[in-house]
Amino acid sequence: MATPLSPPDDAEDAPLDPAASMRLIQAQQERAQSLEVDGRLLYGVWGVAWFVGYLLLFGSARGDIGPRGPELGENEPAGWAFAVYGSLLIGALVVTLVHVMVRCRGIRGASALTGAMYGWSWFLGFGAMGAVLAGLARAGADGELMGLASNALASLVVGLIYLSGGALWRTKRLYVLGAWILCVAAVATFAGLPTTYLVMGALGGGGFLVLMAVEHVLRVRARRAIDR
Amino acid sequence: MTDGTLDPVIHAQARLRVVATLAVLPTGDELAFPRLRKLLDMTAGNLSTHLRKLEDAGYVAVTKTHEGRTPVTYIGLTPRGRRAFEEYTESLAQLLRGAGA
Repeated sequence: MATPLSPPDDAEDAPLDPAASMRLIQAQQERAQSLEVDGRLLYGVWGVAWFVGYLLLFGSARGDIGPRGPELGENEPAGWAFAVYGSLLIGALVVTLVHVMVRCRGIRGASALTGAMYGWSWFLGFGAMGAVLAGLARAGADGELMGLASNALASLVVGLIYLSGGALWRTKRLYVLGAWILCVAAVATFAGLPTTYLVMGALGGGGFLVLMAVEHVLRVRARRAIDR
Repeated sequence: MTDGTLDPVIHAQARLRVVATLAVLPTGDELAFPRLRKLLDMTAGNLSTHLRKLEDAGYVAVTKTHEGRTPVTYIGLTPRGRRAFEEYTESLAQLLRGAGA
């Protein structure tokens, strides 16, 4: 069966010396990294979304930046700030979904199930959060209380899911980020509006950005170790 | 096992690249044929030939299935193939250390 194809086959089967083999493996595995999700991109987009989005909310609530209508209460960010914040979060979500789908296309097996369950835990977590917030509003929670609760619950969901992701893939840095976001949830709630926004942006968004940098350094180091 | 001789099934450019690519996937995962082919820049015929050799050696498992009405072929390393690749890279490292000393 294989004989008719043997000429190109033989050409590719030229004998290799060990150093060439090693280089070939490294080059190919580097290329095959496109089969894995790039943490730098995901931490980066969420880091920027939180950092910029929340700092705009903070600046707007304090009246430092942007227009404010007279109808706004004290410590209440303007509508445009919420619009930018929301767009940044939606953008980060779209980037995440597209990136994960492109990277995982054509892969099936045990890890696909793990990944799907992990992905669904985000939808379940935020779905439940939305329902809880609606329930709180219905019970008469006012603007400030809702502001605190929504940020606290969101951070709680994010933190807990990162803990589970860290445990699932045995990635300590993801676990540490989860624990960090849980601390941010607590601190941000005690800080009170509008400082809550500052805490979420600087410490929460900053946490993502730090992890992006860590991820990048680890990658560069791994590549250098191979090149040596 | 790692006595310095290199596994002839893997010690060929095309098959080494196939195995190295599949080894990036977590254990138990498989890759669809078109995506594997794209990562390797090989012709379908050429890749099939090498996959057959790897399959004959028990290093890869080839599963033909359907997704909707489209036939899809998935390729994954067998535990034996993964072990063979690990032993191959260990032998390489040993040879390279020997050469450097």
